[in-house]
Amino acid sequence: MSQKSMSNKTALSDTRAPAIRQWLLNYASALFFIAFVVLWELVCRVGKVPVYILPSPLSIVNAFFDVEFSRWLEHLWATLRVALMGFALSICISIPLAIAMVRSEFLSRTIYPALVVIQSTPVVAVAPLIIVLMGTGDMSRVLITCLITFFPLVVSTATGMLETPEELIELSKSLRAPRYRETWQIRIPYAIPHIFSGLKVSITLAIIGAVVAEFVAAEKGLGYFIQFSTSFFKIPQAFAGLIFLAVVSLVLFKSVQWAQQWLYPWSIPKNKR
Amino acid sequence: MTKASERAFVRMEQVGHCYDPTAGNMAVQQIDLEIHRHEFVAVVGPSGCGKSTLLRMVAGLLIPSEGKVSVFDRQVTEPRDDVGIVFQKPTLLPWLTVRDNVLFPLKHKYGLVTAADKTRAEELLAMAGLAQFSARMPDELSGGMQQRVGIVRALLLNPDILLMDEPFSALDAMTREQIGFDLLNIWTEHPKTVLFITHSISEAVLLSDRVLVMSQRPGTVLDLIEIDIPRPRSAATINSPRFAELTARIRKHIYEPEVHV
Repeated sequence: MSQKSMSNKTALSDTRAPAIRQWLLNYASALFFIAFVVLWELVCRVGKVPVYILPSPLSIVNAFFDVEFSRWLEHLWATLRVALMGFALSICISIPLAIAMVRSEFLSRTIYPALVVIQSTPVVAVAPLIIVLMGTGDMSRVLITCLITFFPLVVSTATGMLETPEELIELSKSLRAPRYRETWQIRIPYAIPHIFSGLKVSITLAIIGAVVAEFVAAEKGLGYFIQFSTSFFKIPQAFAGLIFLAVVSLVLFKSVQWAQQWLYPWSIPKNKR
Repeated sequence: MTKASERAFVRMEQVGHCYDPTAGNMAVQQIDLEIHRHEFVAVVGPSGCGKSTLLRMVAGLLIPSEGKVSVFDRQVTEPRDDVGIVFQKPTLLPWLTVRDNVLFPLKHKYGLVTAADKTRAEELLAMAGLAQFSARMPDELSGGMQQRVGIVRALLLNPDILLMDEPFSALDAMTREQIGFDLLNIWTEHPKTVLFITHSISEAVLLSDRVLVMSQRPGTVLDLIEIDIPRPRSAATINSPRFAELTARIRKHIYEPEVHV
């Protein structure tokens, strides 16, 4: 709709230059991407860059199709499963935890410092210990993913709940409504936009968590695939895995955005809907 | 008609409040005020003089550290659910339609809403000229319409007392006058005891039966002025000489406080 009106506007103005400019603006990111890939290919060919230092885009594409599609799916499923389970577990823990912290001063004083300590400990360093403790199964990888994703969720949920306008809390008090309704009907819905920004950060962290866990111990998954491709000097194949992983991460991020748009359209500022 | 209507409905006796007892400075002190049933009382005063503090005391959201506030001869010691509050900002819930926002106090208090409640909400919205907006979301409405929804929400539980905390201060001047007259119409049809906080002197005179003028912090009563301009009032009221006299009298208190003290 807006693009249509925009092109109408440029047609009316009857000069060619602004039309081209508008077109460039509309496709700026795609054009930049194409230019980048072409330049990359040129640098590799003209400079005769060895493939183990920087594989050219075409060699990466070839490497991608050299791997059987069913193998890609296997690795994808292994990573996605851990990432999504860790993400789900993290939602189940962090949102109730945030609610409890907002409702109880005592809990927020006792739990919050512990959360900060956990968040400050590099999960990458803890991951081998978790594998030793819990074995090399899915559960330990899920736990690592959960550890890396839950902090932004707790903080964003709690922040959102505390940003509820004071007037609405007064309204609730003056109605002498039970306190759980203040939480459910006012504070939690008010936290929805914050929760979703937390979810967007967490979903990308979930992929990172799953990959870190695969680096430590796994026999499947995209992280494992990249690691073993590198150790066999199949650099184009490692790049193919990396790009695939980035695309997956991007799709998950977008899915969270779509979910917000679909479930809670009001939580998105009007001009971005 | 009877004595009951002349009896003080809201009574403040030597009320004072201190938010921070260690610092010891009072927000308001020595307030004596009696509001009759279905009377419209406006409170004006400089910013930070404790106008909102008074309102919160009547609602029972704040218990004064000195003196006592009573409603219908019962001392206020906890939040009262027979008051409707209209805030400076409309504070509508962005995820509910206009109608559900109006119904929110019921839903919030009792957890359920009946078909009769829904009809009543629609009636109230129609009275405020918002009938065709009941299915809209709050952010589709102008600021003035949002504040009307806020007023309708406060009227839903049919409270005896309507507390309004600078309800029109975020609106532009024209919307503000119109919504003021609409409020008077609603008040005439559904009489309520109104405590109306404002920092607009002309608005206070235009709308109310009496105006309480407060001093700088710590807020005390400088004057309590009877507004003897006949009702119904309209835009023409503003041009009457009596209106000018009364606003001038209040203005004098606000701008030349040393004359009085």
